[in-house]
Order: sequence, then structure tokens, then C-alpha cells
Amino acid sequence: MLRFLAIRFGRAALTIVLVVTFAFVVLRLSGDPAITIMSPEAPPEALAAFRTAWGLDQPIWVQYLRYFGAIFQGELGQSMRDGRPALTLVIERIPATLALTLPAFAMKIALGIPAGVYAALHRNSLTDRLVMAGAVAGFTVPSFVLGLILVLVFAVKLGWLPSGGQESWRSAILPVITMGLGGAGVLARFTRSAMLEVLGQPFIRTASAKGVPWGQVVRGHALPNAAIPTITIVGFMVGSLIAGAVVVESVFSWPGVGRLLVVAVANRDLAVVQCILLLVASTMVVSNLTVDLLYGVLDPRLRGRTS
Amino acid sequence: MLLPRRAAIAGSALALPRIAVAQADQRPSITIAVQRIANTNTLDNLREQSNVGERTLLMFNERLIDMDWRGNLAQKPGLAESWRRVDDATLELTLRDNVRFHNGDVLTAEDVAYRFSPALAFGDTRPVVDGKTLPHAFSAIVGQGSKKLPDEIPPVARRLFPGLDRVEVIDRRTVRFVNATPDVTLEGRLTAAGAEIVSRRAVEEAESWLAYARKPTGTGPYKIREFRPDVSLTLESHDDYWGGRPPLKSIRIVEVPEVSARINGLLAGEYHFACDIPPDQIAVVEANPAFEVVGGTILNHRITTYDNSNPVLRDPRVRLGLAHAIDRQAIIDGLWAGRTKVPPGMQWEFYDDMFVADWRIPEYDPAKARQLLRDGGYKGEPIPYRLLNNYYTNQVATSQVLVEMWRQVGADVQISMKENWVQIRDRNTVRGVRDWSAGAPFNDPVGAIVSNFGPNGAAQQAGEYRNAEFSQMCVLLETSADRPLRRKAFRRMLEIAEREDPAYTILHQNATFTAKRREIKWTAAPSFAMDFRPGNFAL
Repeated sequence: MLRFLAIRFGRAALTIVLVVTFAFVVLRLSGDPAITIMSPEAPPEALAAFRTAWGLDQPIWVQYLRYFGAIFQGELGQSMRDGRPALTLVIERIPATLALTLPAFAMKIALGIPAGVYAALHRNSLTDRLVMAGAVAGFTVPSFVLGLILVLVFAVKLGWLPSGGQESWRSAILPVITMGLGGAGVLARFTRSAMLEVLGQPFIRTASAKGVPWGQVVRGHALPNAAIPTITIVGFMVGSLIAGAVVVESVFSWPGVGRLLVVAVANRDLAVVQCILLLVASTMVVSNLTVDLLYGVLDPRLRGRTS
Repeated sequence: MLLPRRAAIAGSALALPRIAVAQADQRPSITIAVQRIANTNTLDNLREQSNVGERTLLMFNERLIDMDWRGNLAQKPGLAESWRRVDDATLELTLRDNVRFHNGDVLTAEDVAYRFSPALAFGDTRPVVDGKTLPHAFSAIVGQGSKKLPDEIPPVARRLFPGLDRVEVIDRRTVRFVNATPDVTLEGRLTAAGAEIVSRRAVEEAESWLAYARKPTGTGPYKIREFRPDVSLTLESHDDYWGGRPPLKSIRIVEVPEVSARINGLLAGEYHFACDIPPDQIAVVEANPAFEVVGGTILNHRITTYDNSNPVLRDPRVRLGLAHAIDRQAIIDGLWAGRTKVPPGMQWEFYDDMFVADWRIPEYDPAKARQLLRDGGYKGEPIPYRLLNNYYTNQVATSQVLVEMWRQVGADVQISMKENWVQIRDRNTVRGVRDWSAGAPFNDPVGAIVSNFGPNGAAQQAGEYRNAEFSQMCVLLETSADRPLRRKAFRRMLEIAEREDPAYTILHQNATFTAKRREIKWTAAPSFAMDFRPGNFAL
């Protein structure tokens, strides 16, 4: 078990280092924050002063070593746009993002898993086809298209809900639905496939043949066995709670981490982008690690393998 | 919990006047959707030198000399009620009496001098003499809690006031701007973004430069209630405004990056104004009779510049040939719904006596273009054309039209999409033509043609343009007080930069469009700046 955990933690740390390194190099090679923030018309002396002030005139390997040295001291850098610590800026935005992603996550679970189970239990019926058609539509329609359609209908035509912003809880309804429908479609598809695979297994037929009521077969044998692939997808969704709303936040002008990321990338506000990526990579890695550990809980056979 | 009767009565009594005031204030509050509030997340216009920053500055800030924003942009008294020339290098201004800052302080000459001091503008820079920027040092990083100026501000201040040596306080209401060299443009420079006056006490009491710059205490008609960077800026009426009671109770500016979201919000009734409307969306908005799109040309021209160090473009006839190949009116009609115009060179009518009224840019003449290309020795070599993905409105579409127009006269101009300005300016690979824009920060050519193409301008600094006579004229324009000589020099500069040895060619005047509810009576300024002062808002 210890070896399993050590390998998993080692991989997790390596993933985070690779993500941060990749982001560091790409951001520095693809644009000059001085021109982006100061404008192309800024005096050359002003641009030079900006670069010197932020250490951008140093070789990239010097910048990289300084950056990693600072990370180990708990310093994630300052925003070039306003001089505040990048971590503070990101933390300020997390509640707004979670205000969308948590309800959307709940909606995905509440709609997607029951729909997938129901479709699997009624395979090839009209209901199954309708549910799956809805699921396919949900995850194939891009969120910005779905978002704009919802805005056109519910904000512009009907005037029931705000088109964007963060004025009240009503402002969150359309973005949550936009994200929730897409994710629910994905979950419904995966849950249905997993359930169909399990329902075709011999132990399900055996249980039915022994006279176990069908409901009990589904709850006691099918659902737990179908949970592993579904948990994997849910794990990814948990991992994207922090920065999984980039497009939706832009469409609905919602001031969360996603919007901050877009603005920071556009302005090459390096410390902020790196801070967000570090946070997202860490969340994703922790989430995947948790899922890996959950496999062992859900499937006793895996415990033996991992230890 | 029971409320004691006396406390309840006392509480009611305290609440009564507030309710009465609230009921008396029938002025509307509005919401404006913009693409971006500020590029730098600050509201100090020496740092926020962007178009988007210009949009809000008239709301809370003011300058000593104002412009007629709803008219011909002529200079008019602002915070200074009058001014006079002491000599070619010295300007004396008399401040209005009893102008109050948002913190209640009365404007004095000390505030003006502080605005143009090393502490808030120039750092340790020295005036520019004979076209040479004197050296300066930089050291600190602006950060939370630091009172030091961001390092990029002194160079910006120096470009705006290159020769300013000091501001002298004569008495409580009189200041004297003393230049190191003669400068006839000083009045114009005082109308530009970056010359706003803020309360000295407010700056000194702010815990850091950033705290000041997030909430500058100016004298404008609206004061800043809250600034949430990247999210919103909320202003409320400054009822002690010297120019009369502002027409709005409050203004809320919200950042809505997507154009479709801005238009949807306007149509849904959430916003009163939606800014930065692309020309192709004007018909979409105006299809609803309750809304209209206002605005038009601004003090900015879209240009295409040449790298005259490129061997293919070295002969000026080749560059002039490319200029004659462009049917600018077709671009305006096709991509701008006809709502902008072809300007007479890099100049604007508000230049007044410096405006060269009879000057025209190279006209559309394909035959002449072909001849010039031939005479210039052009043999069909590829000419790289670097551009960004719609950094400017309609940029990509315009470039595609240009390439086709150039192809019609035999020029092989090849588009090379770039991601950022460093790649656009990269001199390690072959450069040819590129897109740019030139604005007029104030009413003199030194603000545009000199600042962009002169010895200290970005084009020469990047090695794209060199012309000895042109550079001499730039220095003359910056330092001479001989107005007829300056006029002559400017005409000569236009001849050189637009025809004899082209540095650039003008495409069209830029324009900005704002969608609004038709019921609102409001006049857009020929600028990004939005004016909501008394007299410019009614329902």
C-alpha cells in the first residue's frame, strides 16, 4: 500500500512540475507582458523600465530558477497589472467560480446518473432513445452556443432572467444550467454504458435466477459495479471545479477564476496565469489521486493488487 | 428581541432625513457595458494610457484645459478659468475658484504642482532637450504597500511633457508651467490623458500608490464609489461639482467581454449603453426600434506601415505604389457600413492652424500603382504582411481586402498571422508591412506623427523608418515657437512620410460605436471618452 501511495504521490508531484514548467516556458516565449499591458504605443523607455522592474530582461533560465525558488518559499509572485500577490487575486475569485461550478456539479450528478441508469434499465425503448438523444445534444452543443441560446430565450425574449453579471442569485441560473446540462449528458452516457456492461454479466443473471428481486439486483449488484467508470468521470469533474467555467464565465460575464485566467493570459500577467495553472493542476491531481484510492474502496479486488 | 420604545423613536427620527433625501433625488442611475474597464487595473491615466481607460476618465477626472467634447474639440477652460503665455517656454494658468475634490478639499495650486511633480509623474527623469531624452534610472517594483511610482510612469509622463522643467506655485489660484525649451504645444498637452488633476491630500493619505490609483480623488462630476478590477466600476454623483449638479445619480460600468453578451444585455433591458459595437452589428441592434447606435470617427487613424530597410521596399516608389493601390472608400463601405471616412493624412481638423487643409493622401489609382511598382524595380518578390487577429476592429478582413487590392496591381503581399506585438516587431526575420494606428492625444502634430515616427518614436526605434530630413523636422516641430515655420515643417513632413519616402499609408479614420436606448438623449464625443456632465443626458 505504501509503495502504491508513494508512486501515486510521486506521479502527482511530477505532473504539477511539468504543467508549471510548460506554462512558464510557453508564456514567456509567446508574448511580452510589457507591450501587452503598456500598449504597443508606449515609449521604449517605459517598456524597458517595465521589463527591468519585473525581471523580464533576465535570461529565461534565471527567471525559471527564481520562480521555483520562490514557490518553495510559498511565494507565487505578484500580478504585473496591479502589483498584488497573484494568490490573493486568485483566491478572491474562487468563491464566485464555486458559486457556479458546485450547483452545476450537483445538477450533473442529479440529472446525469439517474438518466443513465434509467436509460440502461429500459434499453432500446423510446425513453432510452429520448434520454440518449438529450444526452448527446447536451454534451455536443458547445457551452457558448447553449449559453447564448438560453440568454436569447430567457433574458432577451422572455425577460425572466438576467443575461449576465453577478447581480443576484438569479444571475447564476443560466450559467449553472449551461454547465449542468453538458456535464449531465456526459455522465448519462457513461453511466448507461457502465450499467449495460454490468447488467450483461453472469452474476446479474445468477442473482435474478436465484429469485432476488430486480430492484435489489440493481441496487445491490449492478450500481456498485457500474460505479467505477462513473466515479472516474466524476473525479475529472471535481478536478475542474476551480477552472472549469472559463467559457461560461466569459459568456455570462461572471467574475470568477475562468475570467481571471482569460484576462491574465491575454495580458501575459505571468504570475497570475501560473498561479491558476498550479492550482488547477493540483486540484486535478488530488482529485485523480482520490479517485484512485476510491477504486480500492469500491472494488475489493483492487486492494490486493495495489498492496 | 424587544426594541425599547425610545430607541425605536430615535431610530425612526434618524432614518427620516435619509429617506427624504433619497426621495428627493429623482435622477436616474445607468449601467454601461464595456469590453474592458482598464488594461492595467488602475485608474491613473499616466499608467492607464489605453483607449478603454480614456472611456471613463471624463467621468471622475478633469484637466486644467478642457476640450469641447460635444463640438469641434476646441480648447476651453477646464479647471483653469484662464491662461496666458509669459514667454515661449512658460504658461501661467489661473484656477477656478471654489472647485471641490471628491473628498471635499478645495482645489489649489499646490494640488496642480503636485500632479506634475517627481513624486506623482516624473520620478527622476529630466526634461528632453533638443530631441534627446536625458538618462534616468529605475529600481523599484510597484507592490502592495509601496508609495513609489510604477517605473513605467515617468517615461510616459516625459513623452507627454518632454520639456517640462517645473510647475511653480505663484499663489493659491495661480500656477506657472516652466519648460526647459520653447514649447507652443503646452496648452494642448494639458488637454491630454495623463494631465488630470487629483487631490494632493488624497494621494498622500493613500496607503500605497496602488490604493490611490484604484480610487483617484479628482474633481469630475462623479466620484468613485467602488472599483472591482476586471468586473465593475461604480460612480456616484459628486453633488458639489463646480459645473452644476450631475444629471445621473450613479453610473455603473460593467465589464462584459463578449460583444454578443453586451448586445443581449442591452436588448434585455439590463444595460442602458453597450460600448464597442462592431460595425457589422449596428444593423442587428437597430433592427429593434427601441435602440440605436451612436458614435463615429475618433481621434485615431488606422494605418499600414512599411519597413523601409526591406530591400524590396527600399525604393520609395514601391511603397507609394502600394499606397495608390488601396481603394479606401471600398473598405469603408464594405466593412464599416460607411460610418467612417478617409482623412487627409495623419492630421485632424482640431489641429486648427496646424491643419493642412489642402493635403490629400495618395488616391486610389491602380494604373499609377502598377507604374510606380515597375519604376521602383519591383519584380514580384513576396512582401510579408504581419498582423494580429483583430487587435483592431475589422483588422483581418481589412488585411484580406488589402492583399487582394495589392494583387490586382501585381504586388505579392503575403499575410503572416502573429500572436503578439513582439512577433510583429521582430527584426530577426524579414519585415515588410504591418498594421498600426495613430492617435492624436492633443491638438498638435507632435502628438501623432512625431511621437510615432520621429527619432524617439516606435517606428524609428524599431528600425523600420529612417529619413534624416524628416527627423530634423520632428525636432523643429518639438522645439520651435515659430508658428509659420512649424506649419511649413509639418507640411513637409506629410510630403515626406506619405509620398516622397513613405513611412506609412493611411487606411481610414477609426471609429467607435455605442449602442443605447433610443429614449436616452445623449451625444457621443468624437473619442472613446463618454461625457455625462450636466447638459448631456436626458430621458
